[in-house]
Formats: sequence, C-alpha cells, structure tokens
Amino acid sequence: MTSTIPKTAVLGPVAANPYAWPFDGSVSTARVALINIDWQVDFCGPGGYVDRMGYDLSLTRAGLPATSTMLAHARATGMLVIHTREGHAPDLSDLPANKRWRSAQIGAEIGSAGPTGRILVRGEPGWEIVPEVAPIPGEVLVDKPGKGAFYATNLDLVLRTHAVTHIILTGITTDVCVHTTMREANDRGYECLILSDCTGATDPANHDAALHMVTMQGGVFGAVATSTAVIEGTTHAG
Amino acid sequence: MQVDAEPYPFAFDPATTALVIIDMQRDFVEPDGFGETLGNDVSYLQAVVPPLKKVLETAREVGLTVIHTREGHVPDLSDCPPAKLNRGEPSLRIGDPGPKGRILIRGEYGHDIIDDLAPVTGELVIDKPGKGSFYGTTFGDELTARGITSLVVTGVTTEVCVHTTVREANDRGYECLVLSDCVGSYFPEFQKAGLAMIAAQGGIFGWVAPSAAFLSALVPQEVAS
Repeated sequence: MTSTIPKTAVLGPVAANPYAWPFDGSVSTARVALINIDWQVDFCGPGGYVDRMGYDLSLTRAGLPATSTMLAHARATGMLVIHTREGHAPDLSDLPANKRWRSAQIGAEIGSAGPTGRILVRGEPGWEIVPEVAPIPGEVLVDKPGKGAFYATNLDLVLRTHAVTHIILTGITTDVCVHTTMREANDRGYECLILSDCTGATDPANHDAALHMVTMQGGVFGAVATSTAVIEGTTHAG
Repeated sequence: MQVDAEPYPFAFDPATTALVIIDMQRDFVEPDGFGETLGNDVSYLQAVVPPLKKVLETAREVGLTVIHTREGHVPDLSDCPPAKLNRGEPSLRIGDPGPKGRILIRGEYGHDIIDDLAPVTGELVIDKPGKGSFYGTTFGDELTARGITSLVVTGVTTEVCVHTTVREANDRGYECLVLSDCVGSYFPEFQKAGLAMIAAQGGIFGWVAPSAAFLSALVPQEVAS
C-alpha cells in the first residue's frame, strides 16, 4: 500500500435502487464491511459442487472481475473485509440430515469425494476461495454451516466489535447464500447494499428476481447498486 | 405420512410437525390496511385465506401443533432498527397513525391476525421484530421444547417473511414444506420466483406442494369419501 492512498473515506450517497444508499446519507468506511460470500471453488470452480450438479459455471463466475475491483477498493479505503465459506466439519457432525440427503439426490453428496476433494468439507481444495478474490492476512474469515452467514457463526460479534453499521455484499449465489445473509443482516439492523455486478446465480432468472425483491416496498432488505456506483460514491479524505 | 411435493415427496410425522402461519395480520391482508395504503393489491393476499382456513381447521381437528407469527414493534419503537424505520422515505412510517391503528405496533388492531384465522387457546403466537421468525424471538426454543422437526409454512408475504423464515429454519435443520396456495405475495412475479427458489437445486430450502396434497396426506379418508 502506498502512502498516497487514504486509509479511510466517506461512502455515499451511492446511486442505488430504490434509494440513494445509505439511508442515512453517508457513512465512514470505518463503519462499513465488505462481505464476500462463498467465492469458493465448490461454487464457481471446475470440478466443484456446482459444476458437479451440472450448472453453467460462467453464471456463478460472472461477478468475479467486478468483485476483484471492489475488493481492491475496500482494502484501499479501509473497509472491514470479511470472506465467508460454506462448509462442514470433516466428520459431518454439523451437516443437517436433510441437507445431506438433498445433495445426494442431485448427485453431489456433501462429504463425498470429488475432483476437488470432499464436497463442501472444510480444509479441502474445493472449499477454498478462488485466487481472484482470495483473502490476504488480516482479513476476517467466517466459516458457516448454512446459507446464512449469521446462524451458528461469530459474524455478528465480529461486526459489532468493529462497530460496523453498514454492509456491502458480493458473492454467490445471489438468491441463496447472499440473499439469506442479507435478510439476516437486515433483521439485525444493518444497512445493506447488494452489488448487482458482483453476484451471480445458477439460474439467471433467480438472480434477477432476487435483486428485484430487494428493491420492493421502499427497499425491504436494503438497496441494489453496482460496484462502479460504490467507487464513484466514495469521497477520499485528505 | 408423505405428501406429493416438489422436488421430492415430503415425509412427515404429525407428532413432530407444526403448521406455521406467518403474519396474516389485518395491516397486510385486509382492504384499507397498511399494505393497501402503500398501493399494494391485497386481493392476492385475500386469495390465500380460504385454502389456509381449511388447512388450519384440519390441523386443529387432527391435533397438529399450530403457531402464528406477527411482525411488529413495541410502542416506543425501541426494537425497530433506524434503517427499517427511515429507509426509502415511506409515506407512512412504522409507528405512524394508520387506518387500523399505529402501523406495525404491537397491541394495535391492525397488528392483530385476521378474524378468519384468529388463534385459539393453546396456539402459540410469536411476535417478531423482523422478517424472519427466529431472530429476536423465542420461536426456535419453542420448537425445541415441543419436539418439532418439520414445519408446514403458510402466510404472507411469500418472498419476504415466508422466505426469510424458511431460510432460517432450513439452516437450523428443520424440514420445511411450503404450501403454494397458502402463501401470498402482492406481486405475482415474486410469488412464482419465491416458490421456484425454494425447490431449486434439489430443494435447496425445502419442499413445495399445494394444500390439497398436504390435506390428502393428513386426512386420507376425506379423499376417499
């Protein structure tokens, strides 16, 4: 990091839908967390879980370039950077029976051996975050057993310890893990922004519907913007 | 017992299954309520009432656990996050005087459940400050205390409170069946997408079936007659 890059900045107003984000006008990046959801080989890499289920990987990889840019921006402006990983303990003791059963039904049983190691098991190559958006030392990693990043994790404690009040979300998939986490965060009072160009789903219709749902009722879960709008809505201090 | 459902048949034991009715409150469902004041068409939500009433009556007959939820806040709004209160500059804010009392405030007429589905003695009512039924409530503890492992989920709205609750329940290992004609949205597009998302990827959040399939599993003799 060079000395010309400010450590904190002011975010907002960011051009977003259905309102200029955040609701309270602007926020110091010291109170903002960028949460990158499940950019794991299992969800967007060859031989991983999503690939094994037969989905088009280009759909879940579509948001990687913009997320990489957004990640660099978050680091440069002093946001708290958090990466989440969905996965289970090697003995599968934290895997609900119905989740295991359903994954077996679709031909990619969690815990079974695949080209990138045991599917969705912590410590396996497929469970790792892809190199394009890999964590660097000092960034927070949250390992979660479910779709939501708050349930059965220390995420809420980490956010409150860092005095975070505003959250920017990227990741995969839009309608499953990103949406569940956004809903959990919203109920907990965090002001959320989901980035349309930094997310993706196995079904494009579900991606579009998930983004649209956020914008209803005046922003029922927060707002939707692009990473470009966030960068343009940043005022560098000093 | 087994219900024909998407994407697989849903097996359940009535002794460990609860019927969950989400937010069938006057302010969301009735004409002249808060929902309609915001410009929403409540007819889509009204359509849920007759099939849901039948499911509720049958659940009571067979002794299924019944749980109702209501979204709302305490009168001093101390449990309402500023982002929820102020976001989007709403024409009517939570706590403002509305057509059926203060908007989304516990104890107000509009906050209560519609007459057709009113809880009876012995049925649990969970008051929740958010969209999900688990966060900030005793819902999870109550399910554990009753030995409930499966949820039959109904109510409004499909893509907001029903979906959030099903997502929370699914991560906690509950088996969730969503009754397609007993959940409703102000927006047909979201009703369709919301149901599709539940059953996507091999049932990533649970199962979906019409109420007739659930009722025929619950009381097979009715189908035969």
